[in-house]
Parts: sequence; structure tokens; C-alpha cells
Amino acid sequence: MGQVLTVAFFGLVALGFGVTVFRTSSMVRSALSLLGAMAAIGVMFLAMEAEFLGVLQLMMMAGEMTIMAIFMVMYMMDPGGLGQMEMTHQKRLSKGVGLTGCLGAVALTLLVDWGPTVASAPPPTTQVHDLGIELMSRSMLVFETAGVTILVAMVAATVVAIARHRP
Amino acid sequence: MTLIVALLIGTGLFGIGLYGAVSQTNMVMIMMGVELMLGAAMVNLVAFWRFLHPDVYAGQMFVLIVMTVMALEAAVGFGIATARFRARGSVEMEEAMELKE
Repeated sequence: MGQVLTVAFFGLVALGFGVTVFRTSSMVRSALSLLGAMAAIGVMFLAMEAEFLGVLQLMMMAGEMTIMAIFMVMYMMDPGGLGQMEMTHQKRLSKGVGLTGCLGAVALTLLVDWGPTVASAPPPTTQVHDLGIELMSRSMLVFETAGVTILVAMVAATVVAIARHRP
Repeated sequence: MTLIVALLIGTGLFGIGLYGAVSQTNMVMIMMGVELMLGAAMVNLVAFWRFLHPDVYAGQMFVLIVMTVMALEAAVGFGIATARFRARGSVEMEEAMELKE
């Protein structure tokens, strides 16, 4: 029972912060709201007994959102949101698409028979140990591919962003 | 029960992210929408792992992959934003219509 309530509460917190991301006109607030949503998702992971993933999510998002806030202040026309600049377009389309996607997923969630759920998860130490074994045995290729992809993305992002001096 | 609650939270986050990605005019805000959608995917994956197959760790591994994708999206997205800002002085998507042609 406690688990349901914790997951539901932090889920609602995540949803609230998620709505705030697109409702506030201040960029810093927007980035910090996204950080709040991601942190709430991390606490949901902790509540669902995925300790390693929860802590990883909290640490990663704390770093990523701070960087994101800096970039947003750099690149926005009106980072403080003082000018009440219009920042949305195709309003009806986007509301329709968002609502359709959400309702479709809700229908799928409620209509599909998920089968019996498992009552207890393995303890955290077993989880970390078994996840490590999984990463280094059966899923090694996928894991290594992720590593190489990170390298490729680092090179690609640097090459794209580098200043070109035109003659 | 908790599975359904977690999945419903995931659908809500996905809807908000989709709305943001379609409605925002600024590239960085669009990326935030995509991040929210990926967050929804992670919530679903963790819920599936915990309540359907807690002894199969491929579920947790998928969450790690999604986190990698999030980081990559941010890195490449900010790279493109920097290039765009250098070339045009803004990252507004309304002004990027020439990419369509």
C-alpha cells in the first residue's frame, strides 16, 4: 500500500513539474522544473525498488539539467521571461497530438491484461550484482554499443558546434 | 495496482512531452519535451521490470540505454543549437524554414 501511495505521489509531483516546464515563461524556472520532474522520476525508481537506477537518475539529471539551464539562458531571446514573449506555435495541433498520444497510451494501459504481478523484488545488493553480470555477459554487445555511440556523439557534437572560419 | 499507477504516470508524462515537443518554437524547449517523453519510457521500463520480470535484468539494462540516449540527445542537440546560433543568431524553429527546402 505504501508503495502505491509513494509512486502515485511522486508521479503526480513529476506530472506537476512537467506541466510547469511548458507553462512558465522564465527559462531558468523551466529548466529547474524539468530537473524537478526528473528527480521525482528518480524517486519513483527508488520507490519501485530499483535503487541503482534511482540514484543514477538523480545524479545524472542533476548534472544534465544544470548544463541545460546554462544553455537555455545562453540561447533564448528572453531568458528571464519578462517580455512575455510568445513561445508556442501550432497550438491546436499540439494539444490534439499530445492529448491523442496520452489517451491512446491510457487506453492501452487499461485495456491490456498485464498478467500476474510479482510481489517482491530481489534485494539491492543482488540487483547490482546481477545487473553487472548481465551487462558483462548476455547484454555485453548492447552495452558496448552504447559506449561507442557516446563516443560518436561526442565527436559529432564537437564537430557540429566548432567555429568555421570562412575565407 | 502499482504497475497500473506507474504506467498511467508514464502516459501523462508522455502526453506532456509530446505536447511540448510539437508546440514549442525554441529548439532547447523542444529538446526538453523529448527528454520528458524519454523519462516516461524509463518509468514504464522500470515498472515492467519490477512488477512483471524482476529476475530478468534486461529491463534495467534498457533503462541504462534510454539514459544514454537522453545524454546523447542533449549533447548532439546542443551541438546543433550552437551551430545554428552561430550561423543565424537564434535557435527559433520558425526561422529554420530554409531547412525544409
